Amino acid sequence: MAVQAPGIVFDAVSKKFRRGEVHDSLRDLLPAVARRVLRRSTAAPALTADEFWAVRDVSFSVSPGQTLGIIGHNGAGKSTILKILTRILRPSAGSYTVHGRIGALIEVAAGFHPDLTGRENIFLQGAIMGMGRTQTHQKLDEIIAFSEIEQFIDTPVKRYSSGMNARLGFSIAAHLDPDVLVIDEVLAVGDYAFQRKAFGQIQVLARSGMPVVVVSHQLDRVAELCTHALLMSHGGVVCSGAPTDVIGAYMRGVGSAGAGASESSPLTMHAAELIDGNAVPSGGSLRIRIQGMTLSEIARHVEPVGIIVRSAQTGEVVYATGTSVFDLTFPIGEFVLDVELQMNVQPGIYLVDIGVWDRAGETQLLVGPSLNVRVVEARTFLGPTNFNSNMTLRQT
Amino acid sequence: MSSFDHLMMTTPSTIALPRRGVLQELGEILTDVSQARGLIYQLTLRDIRIRYKQAAIGFAWAIISPLVIVAAGVIVRLVMVSMAGQPFGMANAAAIMVKSVAWGFFAAAIGYATHSLTSNWALLTKVYFAREVLPLSVILASTFDSLIGAGVVALLMPFIGWTPSWALLWLPLLVCLLFSLTLAAGLFFSCANLFFRDVRYVIQLLLTFGIFFTPIYYEPAALGARWIVPQMLNPLSPIVEGLRLSVVDGHNLLETIRRASDGALIWSPLYLAYSAVWAIGGLLVAALVFHRAQFRFAEYV
Repeated sequence: MAVQAPGIVFDAVSKKFRRGEVHDSLRDLLPAVARRVLRRSTAAPALTADEFWAVRDVSFSVSPGQTLGIIGHNGAGKSTILKILTRILRPSAGSYTVHGRIGALIEVAAGFHPDLTGRENIFLQGAIMGMGRTQTHQKLDEIIAFSEIEQFIDTPVKRYSSGMNARLGFSIAAHLDPDVLVIDEVLAVGDYAFQRKAFGQIQVLARSGMPVVVVSHQLDRVAELCTHALLMSHGGVVCSGAPTDVIGAYMRGVGSAGAGASESSPLTMHAAELIDGNAVPSGGSLRIRIQGMTLSEIARHVEPVGIIVRSAQTGEVVYATGTSVFDLTFPIGEFVLDVELQMNVQPGIYLVDIGVWDRAGETQLLVGPSLNVRVVEARTFLGPTNFNSNMTLRQT
Repeated sequence: MSSFDHLMMTTPSTIALPRRGVLQELGEILTDVSQARGLIYQLTLRDIRIRYKQAAIGFAWAIISPLVIVAAGVIVRLVMVSMAGQPFGMANAAAIMVKSVAWGFFAAAIGYATHSLTSNWALLTKVYFAREVLPLSVILASTFDSLIGAGVVALLMPFIGWTPSWALLWLPLLVCLLFSLTLAAGLFFSCANLFFRDVRYVIQLLLTFGIFFTPIYYEPAALGARWIVPQMLNPLSPIVEGLRLSVVDGHNLLETIRRASDGALIWSPLYLAYSAVWAIGGLLVAALVFHRAQFRFAEYV
């Protein structure tokens, strides 16, 4: 298992698909053959009218120990990348390298046959995923124990509930011992308890040092699991970097960012920075320093610096405040505003948007700087909000 | 098995798209298939298990289907001999039995193989493995069925007055040719059916009426001397005729047979050579076509 260097390298990979109906009867065979012969002579990677790029010129690499999260809207090309990685699809252009055996946590129960028992399906699915029979034998007890369906393991899978199906499928896939791990939207299998257990297992795998690629819409999971992230849109890479920033870019919709000021805004903001970095424990303090300039007198109905905190997972506004609450007045000229927020929320990614609002007209006058914050686990409370409880115990 | 695991763990796979030589591609196919031995075993086991698991009569199926083919053959043959005013000999019965097992294998294997890719579309689009495994494993499962059928025939043969001879040594070669031809057709049709869904109707037609275009219930000479060679153009014909001549008649297939009355060429080793070209050449071509097409399976299925 001597794997050094990047485990996965994608070099300018593109993949085109055909839109609409594909010829699939013998009647279409002759024209299709003729077309193929003609196309081979031209051999240009250009698109014909009914084709489109599902993945366009995507490059990245993942080294051992790195976990790459790929996010983006539906149809952005995320799953196509995973299918190219797992060799199901062949790229139309570009090349890629994968060192070692790929373990895929994708549609974990795809190979199950309904008439076979759970135990028989473990061997079948294991073989489909590239596990040898001796290896499956060795792992059998572990797989069954992890799935927690011991008492039904000799029952045909068609009698399983969908949750049991998913549990068994995940357990097999999670015990593959691959060199490279690929995960597509299986972070939500089974009930809550099993989801936590499965996620824990994925974390163990991801931190064991192999390169991992994750595709998911559960952004907080991506933030928790990944060391890097890649945002895709319409087949292309929009941005890549630290998961918190990439998720922030995704949530805001990169295109609409930086809409700028309207003429009626009485002040501008140049910069906003997180004084202690972008990670803060749940319940801890987040300190923001905002620099700006007041241009004209501020009307009573204008909120000079408003702050809105949204959850990246749900998009919901979890908190909003503004300088007017604190009766701050802004004299004309440069200013520095220090803000402290106690992040009494559950771990996850939060987006802090800063701007100028007109409370009378309920319009935004200035789209100011945006910050991405990652609230990490601190184990001080459960539930969505922190009530900052105090407890004292007296002996009576 | 452990060496196989080791192999899979350490082979880096770089996928660029250079044009490769045919020999190199054939080597690639062999490596793919041999690395997937474990999967072939599991899929074959799956097919055998599900075929017998829920069926009310279980393993009797393996005997009943060749029995039906044999019974139909006996009736057809009885009609033929009674119209010609000849007796129905035990050699006729033995020939029908042996050839029916061969045809039963061919028809069942092609039937299952044609659907093997399309019925596993969920797997094709979700998991990568050597795609050859799917048609190969259903053909192996059919081989298992046919071996049961062949075993029953072998048990019955002595009771209808058959005695073994040295010509039985031809049997392994003929079986290999039949398997190779079946595999070639299975690979090709499974692939074709994935791209063109009406292939299955063509295959259905072929399997329903093919038995009348292949000398299973009759000998090619029955149509007259002129029609022997055209019938032998069907690559399956020399194989089943070879089975009849060697297994039932105890004939050495290297020797030519001419009918004394009109000099009709009933058997020539060239017939068998012709079939061998189809079986081996067909397998090579089908494997290459399949291998080249397999990267488009997930897009078209």
